[in-house]
Amino acid sequence: MKVLVVDDSKIARMGVIKSIKEVYPNAQLLQAINGLEAVELYEKENPDVVFLDLTMPVMDGYEALGKIMEINKEAQVIVITADIQNEAKLRVLVAGAKNMYPKPINGEIMAKIFKQDILL
Amino acid sequence: MNLEFNEDQIDALREFMNVSIGAATASMANLLDAFGTMHIPKIEICNSDELADKIEASIDSNSMYFVIKQLFTGKFGGECMFVISQESALNLGNYLYNAKNSSYDDISDAVLELTNILTSTIISRLTQELDTQVQFFVPSLQFLDSTSVVSDDDVAEYSKIIIISTVLDFEDKQIKGNIYVLTKDKAIESLKILIDKKIEEIYG
Repeated sequence: MKVLVVDDSKIARMGVIKSIKEVYPNAQLLQAINGLEAVELYEKENPDVVFLDLTMPVMDGYEALGKIMEINKEAQVIVITADIQNEAKLRVLVAGAKNMYPKPINGEIMAKIFKQDILL
Repeated sequence: MNLEFNEDQIDALREFMNVSIGAATASMANLLDAFGTMHIPKIEICNSDELADKIEASIDSNSMYFVIKQLFTGKFGGECMFVISQESALNLGNYLYNAKNSSYDDISDAVLELTNILTSTIISRLTQELDTQVQFFVPSLQFLDSTSVVSDDDVAEYSKIIIISTVLDFEDKQIKGNIYVLTKDKAIESLKILIDKKIEEIYG
């Protein structure tokens, strides 16, 4: 399984990666530090799942989500964000994300995400 | 005392602050029944005598400001400062009191209430991330021009200051404010220890 983790913060990416490894130790992990890099990597690598932050420089998560869904309308994108407003969740779900979770996440939440939100 | 932060420490502090501001934005969104745009927090370490200029540079010099300062103590002690323009404060007061032209007292009351929510949410969430606790003091409110936001007395006990700043942006309600979290020298050292502990936990 190939997973793309997108966040401008290294510690945030490491936190998501640590949680993924607890659930899928053999997952192939790709990283991007902004939305633009994420879109380019998505197009090139076609990952099974994307974990996407919203508040990022260069290109934010909303725009990146839109572009990824244009590339593949079946893309499995999970938004992991500090923005816990209901409207933010509504926006990303309407744009095609599978679900949105508040930061920080742990192995238990990650297991729930893979069970409930992701088709493998 | 080494008061410098390395790249990983700055990254971690910015991320913890991002999570804290996310919680505060959601609290404000509920209060204002509006959507708030989140901005990436900025982390700067400066000498205390540079603080006034840095804050002045981040706000509009033509406005008057309500400036609310709230001290907090603990391993991570310091001061949270919320700076909101007269215009934004009036919009806030009018919205919360359902009025067309709120009185100064009503605006002050609205701004203090907002600051109380912001400060307690941001600092409590930040200290939760850092596995520590703080105690809050009663906030003070002043109405100042952009050059008077920081006085010499404010920075008398500081040598180095960490400025964690961001903009709260509720465009639909035309309410925008700047938040600054200032920490003193001793707190910087404690903060570095707390951050290193969290980095170790996550990086393994």
